[in-house]
Amino acid sequence: MNTSFPTIGEAHIEALESISATILRAFKTRGYARIQPAILQPSEIFVDRSGEEIRRRTLELVDPAGREVCLRPDLTIPACRHAVETKKPLPARLCYRGPAFRWRKNEPAAFAQSGAELIGLASRAEGDTEMLALAARALRACGLTHFRMMVGDLELFATLVDALEVPAQWRGRLKRHFWRTGYFEKLLARMVAGATNAAERAIEDLHRLKPEDLRPAVEALIDKEADAPLAGRTRAEIVERLMLQAADGASPRLRPDVAELILNFLAVKGPARSALEQIRTLTKPVEDAMAGPLAAMAARLDALEGLGVDPGRIAFVGHFGRNLEYYTGFVFEFWCDAGGGALEVAGGGRYDTLMESLGAPRGTTAIGCALQPEKILMARGAA
Amino acid sequence: MSEPLTLAIPSKGRLKEQLAAVLAKSGVTMTQTAGARGYRATIDGMDGIDVMLLSSSEIAAGLVSGDVHLGVTGEDLVRETAPDIETSVAFLKGLGFGFADVVVAVPRSWIDVFTMADLDDICAAYAAKHRKRLRVATKYARLTRGFFARAGIADYRIVPSVGATEGAPTAGSAEIIVDITTTGATLVANGLKILDDGVILKSQAQLAMSLKSDWDDGRRATADVLLAKLGIES
Repeated sequence: MNTSFPTIGEAHIEALESISATILRAFKTRGYARIQPAILQPSEIFVDRSGEEIRRRTLELVDPAGREVCLRPDLTIPACRHAVETKKPLPARLCYRGPAFRWRKNEPAAFAQSGAELIGLASRAEGDTEMLALAARALRACGLTHFRMMVGDLELFATLVDALEVPAQWRGRLKRHFWRTGYFEKLLARMVAGATNAAERAIEDLHRLKPEDLRPAVEALIDKEADAPLAGRTRAEIVERLMLQAADGASPRLRPDVAELILNFLAVKGPARSALEQIRTLTKPVEDAMAGPLAAMAARLDALEGLGVDPGRIAFVGHFGRNLEYYTGFVFEFWCDAGGGALEVAGGGRYDTLMESLGAPRGTTAIGCALQPEKILMARGAA
Repeated sequence: MSEPLTLAIPSKGRLKEQLAAVLAKSGVTMTQTAGARGYRATIDGMDGIDVMLLSSSEIAAGLVSGDVHLGVTGEDLVRETAPDIETSVAFLKGLGFGFADVVVAVPRSWIDVFTMADLDDICAAYAAKHRKRLRVATKYARLTRGFFARAGIADYRIVPSVGATEGAPTAGSAEIIVDITTTGATLVANGLKILDDGVILKSQAQLAMSLKSDWDDGRRATADVLLAKLGIES
């Protein structure tokens, strides 16, 4: 069979249809209303949310009117956008099925998704539990009972970075890059070593000034560039940021023990209960800050146990963050072992800033999951 | 005798003149003939080479697709055109002309931005504040994406630019640019500065070989003779 552009036969079509229908039924009985976002979407809604990176995998075209459109790389953003545009009363429960499109080497770019989004439920804990139950029940309805799980939490990491002694201007950097394996380690190493270049020398000069001389000096610097465009930023914003850099000094350094703690946190991987204990021990120096997110993760494990998921089959992975940028907190994947390898049959997580970026009021929560009928079918065949 | 080898060279401008000087120094002379499909030429005393005079971007595309065997064009254009350069094009020799850098430049008023790491902070802060991404004007979308990804920057969007890219920040169509520069003077004139670690590529005219085209023994032998004349060991 042509693996990049497959044609499937009747039995296969019906099996896939039946799986998608089963999943949607499981969603609908829990009060999720089905929607069907258009397959063609304006490119900018994805690029503005997920960043330019997503374009590497997005199938884009220019329509005859010159507009950049794409085959939807996911249905979460269109679904959330729909909720904002139609001013859906919150909490809103939406579900969908249909193809999504992402370019992948040696695999078809089109793949089936059946997903659900829970938008605007005030209690995050209740939302987490509801979404986990929804995904687990839908998988079981499809005949998959023996799955493994992988869980992670971007908020645990963000809390840790905020609590540790880290130069203020670097906190955002660490949080943003936490999931970029390889790059992140290099970034940490650079922060520990401190760097010296022309830019840092310029900052060092500012750093040596008396506090009352700093602002005038920075303002004089920007006045010298009065002919240059500000290009989307304000003068005040630029002045403030340079002053912040100057306050940290030319070569702020990350304490080696702090860097080590961060690396140890990211290396935590294993059965979820003992992994949480490991994190508790590791982060002892900042235990007050970590108590909340650790308790939230423990509550999710309890909820999963209540759903009949064996805790021994749930792995917590410290660096697990999924590679779509709008995830902000709890993330999860369901896996099945099949033949030679493992199949990711479902995944999801919390994206609490996406709704706001689409125009919803600040703090509108959101969590979702998507099941993959093609992988479910393969897993079922292998079982 | 096997099918001819196709060598693509620039059809106009400074690159054409500078290449002619390099070739003349190596004792390679060409005779231009007007062919049915655009300009053609032959190399005096060398059969088996079909010289095509094309635009620099056509040469880059021809190398990447395999439509030409050898080509002379800017390294920047080849890298921008090739999705997977290791498997499509090999650079044989930098020719010592057509020097230019592909760089990331930001407004000089951004006195707090020196490095790509600073730019990363700015991009993320802008995305959080304005609910949209900072825009990078460029005709080098592929090079930009690769370089920004290696610098860990995700919060930006590319605005395709066809000309006068350096004017985009002043015109308000983008905040940042990725463009080619030789002296940097045009950037300065437009109120822009190159980031300390913002050089994406130091480019020059290259003699390059397509890995996608049909290389039989006859063509290989022909290429060896030509490359030897140009002082290149193949």
